[in-house]
Amino acid sequence: MHRIAILLIGLFCATVQAAEIGIIAFQMSSDTHARTANAAEQAARDLGHEATVLNSAGALPTHAEQLENLIQKPVDGIILAMGKLQELEEQLILAEQRGIPVISVMSGTSPHVLFDVNVNEAEVGAKITQHLLGLMNFQGNLLVQRYEGHGGTRMRGKILDAVLSEYTGIEVLDSHSMARTRSWREDVRAGMEALLLKHRGDIQGIWTSFDGQAFVIDDLLQQQGLAKGEVLLTGVDGGQEVFARIRDPRSSMVATVAIPFELMGERAVRALDRILQGADSDEFTRGPFLYMDAVLVDSSNVPAEGEWPW
Amino acid sequence: MRAWIRDWLVRYGTVLALVVLGVGFALAADNFADPYNLLNILKQISFLCLIGGGFTVALMAGELDLSVASIASLASVCCAALLHGDSIWPLAVAAGLGLGVGLGAVNGLCVVALKIPSLITTLAVATIAEGLSFLITGGVAFVGRLDSTFLALGRGRPGGVPAPVLWLLAALLLMQFFIKQTRTGTHLVCTGEAEEGARLAGIATHRIKVLALALSGFWAAFTGVLLTSSLSSASPTIAGDYLMTGIAAVLLGMTTVEPGKPNLPGTLVGALIIGVLGNGLTLLGAQYYVQDIVLGLIILASVSISSSQLGRAAFGAPR
Repeated sequence: MHRIAILLIGLFCATVQAAEIGIIAFQMSSDTHARTANAAEQAARDLGHEATVLNSAGALPTHAEQLENLIQKPVDGIILAMGKLQELEEQLILAEQRGIPVISVMSGTSPHVLFDVNVNEAEVGAKITQHLLGLMNFQGNLLVQRYEGHGGTRMRGKILDAVLSEYTGIEVLDSHSMARTRSWREDVRAGMEALLLKHRGDIQGIWTSFDGQAFVIDDLLQQQGLAKGEVLLTGVDGGQEVFARIRDPRSSMVATVAIPFELMGERAVRALDRILQGADSDEFTRGPFLYMDAVLVDSSNVPAEGEWPW
Repeated sequence: MRAWIRDWLVRYGTVLALVVLGVGFALAADNFADPYNLLNILKQISFLCLIGGGFTVALMAGELDLSVASIASLASVCCAALLHGDSIWPLAVAAGLGLGVGLGAVNGLCVVALKIPSLITTLAVATIAEGLSFLITGGVAFVGRLDSTFLALGRGRPGGVPAPVLWLLAALLLMQFFIKQTRTGTHLVCTGEAEEGARLAGIATHRIKVLALALSGFWAAFTGVLLTSSLSSASPTIAGDYLMTGIAAVLLGMTTVEPGKPNLPGTLVGALIIGVLGNGLTLLGAQYYVQDIVLGLIILASVSISSSQLGRAAFGAPR
C-alpha cells in the first residue's frame, strides 16, 4: 500500500515540477530557426516539461499575437527563436509584468528578456573573412554576397569591410545585396549569375553572409563546371548540407563558421528550467548576451555525415 | 426539418459554428473566456478584419483586390519613413492613407480603362507596391523612434479597450452604413451582382468600380498605418501574411448573413473564427502545424461554399 502512496506522491511531484514552455520561432521554413526551435522543444520534453511550438511564418503581427496568446495561456516560460524583440516590446513588458520569464536565441537585446543566447557575430565575421582571405593568400579578386536585412549578417558584412581595409591586395570586383526575404534564393541566383558572367575567369573568392546564399552560388559554379579550389566559396551557419558540400570534391564550398543552433536552443531551455526552479539569471550571464562558441569548419575538421563539430 | 430552421441554419450556420467553437474553447482551455483574452482576440483580428473589409467592398463591386497586403505594407513603410524623417504624425498618416487610395484608384483605372482583369491588375500593383517598399527601406525595417501620439493610435487602451478594436468598430459601422444606407453603396452592390443590368439602369459602373478599389486601397493603407503604430515598426512585408488570411476571412464570411455574397458582418464572423481558432488552439497547447492544418481545412470548406462569387470576380463569368 505504501508503495502505491509513494508512487502517487512521486507522480504528484513530477506533475508539479513539469512546466509549460512556449517556444516561438519567427520563420520555421528557415533551416536555422527550425533547428533552434526543434532542439529547444526536444530539450524541454527531455526535462519533463510540456512544450508548445509556434511558427510566426515570418509575419510580425503573427509573432506579436502568438506571444500574447502564450502570455494569456499562461505558460511558465517562453523561448523566442530569432525573435523580433524591439517590435515585441509591448508584449514583452506584459510578460515581465505577469512574471513569465523570456529567454531569446539570436534575437538581439531587450531590457524585458532575461538574456539572449547568441554567438558573437563580429567574431563569426572575423573568423570566416580572415580564413577566406588567408586561403586567397591575401591577394586576388573577390565577389561579395551580402544580406542587410538581418543584424547578424549585417555585422558579418561590416567586419568584412573592416578586414578588407587592412588587405589592399584583395580587390572587391562586385557586391550583390540580397533584399527580398521571401524569394531570396531567386534574388541571389539572378544577381550572382549576372556577376559571375561579368567577371568570368577573374574571380578567386566569393564571400557570402550565410550558407543558404552560398548553396545557390555553389550550384551556379558547378553548372559552369568549375573544379574545387578554382573559386573559393565560404558561408556562415553550419549544418549537414554545408558539411557535405565541403566534403564534396565537385563543390566550391571550402569553409563555413558553424553556429551551434541546436546547442543554443537546448541551452536556453536548460537555463529557463533552472530559473523556473528559482535560480537567478545572473548565474548564467550578467550581460544581455549568453555567448556560445561558433566553430570554423573546413576540410581539416569537417565532420562525417550526421556528425557535428562540437 | 422545418423550412425556417433550415433557412436560419443556412444563413447563420457559420455564426453558430463560431459560438460552438467559443463555448468549446471556453470549456476546454483555461483563461479563454477571460475578458482580457477576449479583448485580445478582438485586437488581434482587428487588422485582419480591416484589410478583409476593404477586400469585401472590392468583391461586392465584382472585383478582386490581391494588392491589399502589399499596399498595407507600403503605407506602413511610407508612414514610418516620414516619421523617422521628423515629419509630424498627421502628415505621415495622411501620406500613407493617400498612397493607399492612389494605388487603389490605379487598380480601378486599369480595370475599367485598360480592361485588364482585376486579378492581373492588382497582382501587378502588388508587385509594384512591394518594390516601392523595398526601395524606401532598402530591406531594413524601421524600428522604434516613432512619435508617442502616433503610437497611441495602435497601442492605446481607452476605457481598457485596445484602440484597434475601436478603430475596427468605427470602420465597420461606417462601411456598413455606406453600403446599406447610401445610393452609391446600393449602386456598388448592383454593379457587383449584375454589371450589365446596372449599366443599363444608368449606374456609372466604371466610376463605381474605381471607387470600390480605391476604398479597398484606403482600408489596406489604414491597416498598414495601424500596424506600424501597434508594432512600432515597419517593414516591406509587415502585412504580407494578411492576403491569404484576409481572403479566408472574406470567403468564410460569404457563407453567412448573406450566404453566397461578400458582406461585412460575414467578414467579421470569418475573422473571428480565424482569431478564435488561433488563440484557442494555442491555449490548448496545439503545435503550429496543427493550427495550419485546421485553418487550411476551414479555408477549403469555405471556398467550396462560396467559390461561385469569387470565380465571377476573378474570371468574369459564373463557374
